[in-house]
Amino acid sequence: MPAAAPFNPEDIVNAKYTERPVKEGITTKNLICASCDIACQVVGEVQKGRVTKVRSSDNPIFRDNICMKGIIAPKGMAHPSRIQHPLKRVGERGSGKWEQVSWEDAMADISTRLKKVIADHGPEAWAVSTSQWNTATDHGLGRRIMNHVGSPNWISGVALCAGNTAAVNRFTYGWFPIGDFNNTKCIVLMGHNPRRHSWTPMYNWIRGAQARGAKLIVMDPRRSSSAERADIWLPLKVGSDVAMMFGWLKVIIDEELYDKEFVKNWTIGFEDLKKRVDEFPMERVAKLTGCDPEMIAKAARMYATEGPSIIPWTPITDMQRNSTSGIRLQGILRSICGYVDVPGGEMLQGFNPDIINETEIEMHEVLPLEQKLKQLGSKDHPAFTYRGQRAFNEPNKRVYGQEYANIATGSYMATPSATFRAMAGEGEYPVKAFFFLGNNPLMSYANMPLIHKAMMNQDLIVAHEQFMTPSAQLADYVLPADSWLERPWLHEMFGWMSTVRFSEKAMDPPGECRSTFEFWKGIVGALDRPELVPWDTLEDFYDYRIARTGMKWEELVKTQVYFKKPAFRQYEKTGFATPSGKVELKSSVLEELGFDPLPYFREDPPQDPDYPLKMFTGVREDGFFQTAQRHIPEMRARHPEPEIFLSEKTAKACGVEEGQWVHVENELGRIKAKLAIKDAMPDDLVRVPHGWWKPEMQQGKGHLSGALDYSDAQLCRDDPDFLDREQGIPHLKGVPCRVMPVMEEAPAPEKADVSRPVTEPAE
Amino acid sequence: MSTTDKDIRKMERSVRLMTWMAARSSRNQTFIDRLCRKLVERATVVAPEDDFMRDPLIDNDQGFDPDELDRYQRGEQAIG
Repeated sequence: MPAAAPFNPEDIVNAKYTERPVKEGITTKNLICASCDIACQVVGEVQKGRVTKVRSSDNPIFRDNICMKGIIAPKGMAHPSRIQHPLKRVGERGSGKWEQVSWEDAMADISTRLKKVIADHGPEAWAVSTSQWNTATDHGLGRRIMNHVGSPNWISGVALCAGNTAAVNRFTYGWFPIGDFNNTKCIVLMGHNPRRHSWTPMYNWIRGAQARGAKLIVMDPRRSSSAERADIWLPLKVGSDVAMMFGWLKVIIDEELYDKEFVKNWTIGFEDLKKRVDEFPMERVAKLTGCDPEMIAKAARMYATEGPSIIPWTPITDMQRNSTSGIRLQGILRSICGYVDVPGGEMLQGFNPDIINETEIEMHEVLPLEQKLKQLGSKDHPAFTYRGQRAFNEPNKRVYGQEYANIATGSYMATPSATFRAMAGEGEYPVKAFFFLGNNPLMSYANMPLIHKAMMNQDLIVAHEQFMTPSAQLADYVLPADSWLERPWLHEMFGWMSTVRFSEKAMDPPGECRSTFEFWKGIVGALDRPELVPWDTLEDFYDYRIARTGMKWEELVKTQVYFKKPAFRQYEKTGFATPSGKVELKSSVLEELGFDPLPYFREDPPQDPDYPLKMFTGVREDGFFQTAQRHIPEMRARHPEPEIFLSEKTAKACGVEEGQWVHVENELGRIKAKLAIKDAMPDDLVRVPHGWWKPEMQQGKGHLSGALDYSDAQLCRDDPDFLDREQGIPHLKGVPCRVMPVMEEAPAPEKADVSRPVTEPAE
Repeated sequence: MSTTDKDIRKMERSVRLMTWMAARSSRNQTFIDRLCRKLVERATVVAPEDDFMRDPLIDNDQGFDPDELDRYQRGEQAIG
């Protein structure tokens, strides 16, 4: 990617709208970018067998959905540090000593050791962590193999990012809805802040909707760029989203702004809900959220009367102690205002009937109930585990035609914290073999010290990775993974939407890099269970999955996208996929599991005077997705160091200055970062960047390429006060902490750049 | 909510039509497909002065030279 050239709009007027001519020596491939998890449809230009450019799709429905991470990918994936051959650990775990081995030798040894772990401790002693859409070609094969072998202990970052939202949405109306941005009239962003270079399609849809006249309401403690464009910005206190939604419901119910007919015909529990909402008079809501009561009421009225409105998925309610209640309240707002399964509202799309979906591939039905009930975390925090989701089997079959629906891969997961405790020898049974694919688990869940201990206590760790991440540095085997430029992909939109999209293979993978499909095929071969992955190639597997379309993969991939005919208000025919068949404002399933069936609000524990500030984390910087892309010079030039944000007043109170290295500390741990002062930050709140390590720093135990210095997971607590009760996921939005200047080693603080703008939004 | 049932039915028909056109436009093989693509393009184009997706980094990207990428991958050359 060349440096940004001086920009003259005259040069490019409408250039991107023109059908591009065929260039000599260049072929093009339609691709789906996996540089982050939103899967933009793009075009790869190929020369001499290499993707040399990634650009926006020629298809107008995907136009402009491309960001800086996408266009730099050809260079990022060609980085000289890319792992190209299988590596086997030869020193102590974490010593950083490796030898190159063949895939065949690696698989043989892995299978011998995995079989021994299973023989000694049972199949549940094998855990897998992955984010399936980053690995992309897993397609549920990992779950399928685990289900046949007998392990329920699959975990993923989606436990605190979208997957858990999907699972919890089922408690209300049986599916995870997707907002109809094309037709909506009002959008509510709860702390989420899609930007031109971060979650680009959603930014595109939101801006497009605003251009058509849709209203935008933003709840965010920061004055984000979305907040700056909003019709109403509610600068609520961090972690008070649930109280805010109770305030909205108070207004909507008291002023009778809800859809009475829908509530009467299609919901249960309205009167109980009303009583719970009455516990939140506006004065209380204003106190809990720190927002002006008039503005709260105005926003609630806008949501209820300007509709159809949407509340798009947000990571904010995925990551807090009130997560289940927050996600449920979003569903309740959507429902009582009559926005469920209508155009412009929130669509319940179900499966695409012409494609064998990934839940079917996973074959959850073969895992015995006895093993399902061993799933780690399911006793105390069952919401997204087999135990918590079991009640939806019958309703799901009634409405969507099959018992299991692993929407956004978030249903039927083990709880991450319970899994790491078991791995560390502190659980109800031991876990001794751990695989991770396209995932950096050490830095991707709460309580990194526990995860580190857990990994050091394993008999076998296998990583399938592109780069030597801090987690991979602790593995026994690091097997080289391909990238989205180097293999085809059938993308079923996370099992969430019914649209299916297709990506061509644009180039061969370097060295011995292999797809996740090939990884799992190798594993089942070595485990003497080749029948579990019977397809010879990924393309054969796709042909099997798309047979009902009447087309072969090579034909279908050229069409880019395969839609299911839109249908609305399907509940009028089938009911909702809940036990009652109605929208459960009061959840029968949560009640059955022993939890409060209505949403509720847990306030913060008493403030510890040693940690007077609150931090939030989980925010992605434009150049990076999660813990990735730090090896790419152009991305690091944009974000050379991890930065925390503070308001000027808070920085002064902490005795720290712009550009200075500081420590952020709490009872769990400490990280180091540079300070950026932002007037868009409220006082007493610390924005901590997510996923920082430096690939150029020393590898191995005790160093982990800077992860021990910078990784925010060292500050993320998972003790009971900081876990959601129903799901067991951590509270990342308002964790007590303090900020101190770095006193030791002291890299000389760089002089603050006085020209640096401080009035920019806090992203 | 303010939208009437009639409005919603109208929107439902519109969404079905839009989806059909998007599918044909994406396939882009037959005369009807290409016509749909032209119509979708025309319907979605934004005037340059209002185009919130314009971005110099994206619009000026020239991509890479394949030989340079080869040398870069082998650690022989940095690419600026």
